[in-house]
Amino acid sequence: MTNSLLWTPLIFGLAGLVVPKRLIGWWVMLGTAVTLGIAIALLAGFDSGTPGLQEAYDASWIPGLGVRYSLGIDGLNVFLVLLTAVVWLGGTAFAALREQERPHLFFLMMLLGETATLGAFVAQDLLLFVLFFDLMLVPFYFLFGAWGSDREGGPTASAATLKMIVYTLIGSLLMLVAAIATAIIAADGGQISFSIAELAQDPIGEGSQRWIFWFFAAAFLVKMPAFLLHGWMPDAYRAAPLPVLAVFSGVLAKVGAYGFLRVVLPLFPDATIQFQEVVLVIALASILYGSVMAFTQTNVRLIGGYSSVAQLGFITAGIFALRADGADGAVLQMVNHGLVVAPLFIIVAILAERSGSEDLREMGGMAMRAPVLAALFLIVTLATLAMPGSANFVGEFYILNGLFQEKIVFAFVAISGVAMSAYYALRLYQRTMHNRRPEGIETREIGLRDGIVLVPLVACIVGLALYPQLVLKRTDRSVQEAVAAVQPERAAARIAIGSGELQGER
Amino acid sequence: MSATAWAWLVLLLPLLGSVVISLGFRAMPARVAGAIGTAAIGLAFLCAVAALLNLLGDEPESRHHASTLWTYASAGGLDVDLGIYVDQLSTFMILVVTGVSTLIHLYSFGYMRSDEGYHRFFAYLNFFVFSMLLLVLAGNFVLLTVGWAFVGFASYALISFWYRRSTATKAGMKAFVINVVGDIGLVLAAFLIFRELGSFDYATVFEQAPEVFSQGEWTITAICLLLLVGAFAKSAQIPFHTWLPDAMEGPTPVSSLIHAATMVTAGVYLIARTNVLFYLAPTAADIAAFVGLATLLVAGTIAIAMTDLKRAIAYSTMSQIGYMIMGVSIGAYSAGLFHLMTHAFFKALLFMAAGSIISAMANRQDIDRMSGFWKAMRFTSLMLLIGGLALAAFPLTSGFFSKDSILAYAELRGGMYAWMAIGGYVGAFLTALYTFRLIFRVLPGRPCEEAQHLIDTGELYHGPAINPANEEEEDADVGFPGAHHHIAEQSWPMAVAMALLGFGALFAGLVQVPGVDNVLFGFLEPAFHDSPLAEIHPSVGAEWRGLAIGAAISLLGIATAWLLWARSPGLPAAFRQRFSPLYELAVNKWYFDEAIDFLIVRPALAIGRFANSTFERFVVDGLVSGTKETVAGASGLVRVVQSGFVRSYALLLIAGFAGLALYFLLSAS
Repeated sequence: MTNSLLWTPLIFGLAGLVVPKRLIGWWVMLGTAVTLGIAIALLAGFDSGTPGLQEAYDASWIPGLGVRYSLGIDGLNVFLVLLTAVVWLGGTAFAALREQERPHLFFLMMLLGETATLGAFVAQDLLLFVLFFDLMLVPFYFLFGAWGSDREGGPTASAATLKMIVYTLIGSLLMLVAAIATAIIAADGGQISFSIAELAQDPIGEGSQRWIFWFFAAAFLVKMPAFLLHGWMPDAYRAAPLPVLAVFSGVLAKVGAYGFLRVVLPLFPDATIQFQEVVLVIALASILYGSVMAFTQTNVRLIGGYSSVAQLGFITAGIFALRADGADGAVLQMVNHGLVVAPLFIIVAILAERSGSEDLREMGGMAMRAPVLAALFLIVTLATLAMPGSANFVGEFYILNGLFQEKIVFAFVAISGVAMSAYYALRLYQRTMHNRRPEGIETREIGLRDGIVLVPLVACIVGLALYPQLVLKRTDRSVQEAVAAVQPERAAARIAIGSGELQGER
Repeated sequence: MSATAWAWLVLLLPLLGSVVISLGFRAMPARVAGAIGTAAIGLAFLCAVAALLNLLGDEPESRHHASTLWTYASAGGLDVDLGIYVDQLSTFMILVVTGVSTLIHLYSFGYMRSDEGYHRFFAYLNFFVFSMLLLVLAGNFVLLTVGWAFVGFASYALISFWYRRSTATKAGMKAFVINVVGDIGLVLAAFLIFRELGSFDYATVFEQAPEVFSQGEWTITAICLLLLVGAFAKSAQIPFHTWLPDAMEGPTPVSSLIHAATMVTAGVYLIARTNVLFYLAPTAADIAAFVGLATLLVAGTIAIAMTDLKRAIAYSTMSQIGYMIMGVSIGAYSAGLFHLMTHAFFKALLFMAAGSIISAMANRQDIDRMSGFWKAMRFTSLMLLIGGLALAAFPLTSGFFSKDSILAYAELRGGMYAWMAIGGYVGAFLTALYTFRLIFRVLPGRPCEEAQHLIDTGELYHGPAINPANEEEEDADVGFPGAHHHIAEQSWPMAVAMALLGFGALFAGLVQVPGVDNVLFGFLEPAFHDSPLAEIHPSVGAEWRGLAIGAAISLLGIATAWLLWARSPGLPAAFRQRFSPLYELAVNKWYFDEAIDFLIVRPALAIGRFANSTFERFVVDGLVSGTKETVAGASGLVRVVQSGFVRSYALLLIAGFAGLALYFLLSAS
């Protein structure tokens, strides 16, 4: 089933090329809906009690290099898969219900993007993961470059896209090198294998881990993006078409965080322990810098963009607390953040249509004749600022608790980001929906066309707020295993064995 | 049905009311929404009474029950249940909250009758009551935080209810952000509790705390100080109080409900709830008591200088909460809660009366313009007077008994606490002074223009629709105070609500008269049996001695007010001249806003601007693409490569690898 989940979007996208233009929107919605159906079926069949992979699919692919086509679902990715399916359905439907230029190509790229993202989430072979990770770039290169728009004061869409590509490509290349190196070092002259599970069983030597760790980390931190590596983000966010941005920001950023849990912690445990504080400092810097930037921006897209930098900082911090509760919170928060950011950018698109601007200073007072839109936006805003009572709060609570118990000073610094998020999120809401209404701004209710996209997304937020245990229960087991590798006792045991072997050789 | 089942119903009804009104706002006429909202709270009150009766059926020592609906979150060794805790304290709180809220809903039913956002108002108001009930019923620290934050949000929503007024949205933001700071204090306290005790559950925490912590240990002190951040932010204690006066931008029923009767008492509840922890951390408890004392004195002085009717009452609220915080911090738990209850009655009433007067003034809140309302609005004036008497602790009114039971306890504990009692008496004098300043300015004398208009025509005066705070023209779309107004004399729901509260303000003190009856303390005290401080009781004689002093001070304060603002109105101006630095300090609210602005807001914005204009451009961008000049100037080596992008990325790669190589070289040695 994992296999069919993975390829369904692409097949629909390719088949869509021959669908008549007026039906293409409905066709791709069907495609993403089918994908969502499969994802839900996967979740329904998911057994939270069993450790290890479920619905696994494994076939030899490039035997000479030891590369296998290996897919599988476990607690780490099951909800990310679901999130991908949900957000893609939302973003695609929003785009499909509006006019698009060259719709066939646009939607083919969207669906290719979904397949690539799903592939990165379900891949269980290191090289396959890297390939899907890089494949994600391709459709978004075209979507940003060809369907994006040039902005005043910023570079052109193609320049912004190029910048993004170069950033992420450097990360990707480093990761490719690192992946190959990992397999070769681990094989130690024997049969090369890229299987993540096999590599995790017997991690490579500590010295090699140290540099390979940073090659992977670079790729993941750029993707998120983390502080100092986010240079591509403002320009790309300004250029991107908003429905594309909804899926991009909602899901792709999480692939980076997910990579830490899936690849870095199990494969490079010693380096992870060693560099824990360095990464935590980066995460904290992302939280603070992202928050500070978010409350000085006037472009509504960039408020979303910088708030994502801060949120991904929280997620990274949760993972690098190296405790089960922190990592549990991180996984939950990845899902939450995706569910929040996607409707946020869709709302931004709606607001931009009504006001003809994406600048906060030119917006305002739109709540009056649009109580439903205002209510939906308010729920999204409150979830963004991790209002207690939302699932985002539970995620942040787990993250910060993990951090607090492990590194108390870091927790105190990180939590100041919570106060700032309250300010920038509410500011966004107030400046658009409340205060005076400038001339020329329409205040009108959303219609069925937008409601049908927004309401289900917001319903997901509310549902998860009432029962976050839905996610936590299913992720906990896999998360426990992922962080078990980086517990000090285990690391000490590894060193003991390693030195024992050395002595034996002597 | 068990007490917990009733308590769940108490929680459910307001939530249901809010959801029904929100979802059905298009289908239902405004009055129906108001009726649903009011009925939901009224029914919740009845359920709370049922829970009380149920609880009274148990033995006093076993009147505590926990109940869980479902597992909210459980993973990685951290478990949180959706559970409530019903004991004497939470039952008392839900009775006060639902009781007063019912009356305030009833008042709003009349007061907001012609407002554009009638549905929205009642949906928010019901949600607020739900949040407050969640706060007091929560059975663990996580759910407490949820209720705590919901209350903050509801308050934000109601403060900026007239959202086209920039003053209202600003005030809402301020309240929200300060409240979030309080939430953070709570969350950190919860983390620390979890680290030490491995649980968030009240029952477990309170049972284990005395075994795990020794008295005065730094961890428990830290926990309590963090709890205090939450308590101070919500209860508007120094230095987290600046949001409360600005919160008066909300409709008057909101001021009455949230900013007088319920929300601001959350901090008092929190300290009472965690009395076991505060007993173990005497330093934190003393700090709380001092802050309470400082707040009650500072706010008292500001209230004397305020000319805005509602703001003056808001400062009075701060001051009265100071008494309660001081009370529960020094161990006078029941007395603090007693004052919480009586204050809820008379302060809600005062705000309602003020709302009625402000309506008649076409939204002007400046007491310098007001006079002669006794002739124009007899009922409202009477209620203002009753509320004022209770606030000023006039003998035999409710405030008289409750305030003095706190001070008598402080006196009995002696030493430093006796000095606090003296401070409390000074505060009592200030209270009587500023309360009757308002009354002598507003009620007697020749009717002002607006009052005269009401007497002559029987109709309310209508002025130009201008926001008095910033002279902005009002936006009629969303509604604003003053577009339509209603006074108690012309609206029976308002009059009924005020009359009932007036009754409470006068007579609620009789439940706890020293030497006569012991209804309230007798009920509450078993909830505090874990704290030895609850065993201390002033003798009946000492209590009456305290009451006598209180009565004298109250009368002295009222007499002084009469002298200053009724008999010789020239005197205050002379005082202002003579003691102008003192007056400046008070009228500028002790410069707290300016200090916060200078210490926090400005630096934060400056950092933001720097990050935006400089750091982002030169460091983040410069790191990769760089400006032409820097790249060209930095290196002739790469000048051969023509494309700007390739050039700079090559530079990055080289720099990156060089950095990595350097790192490994250094770490190898």
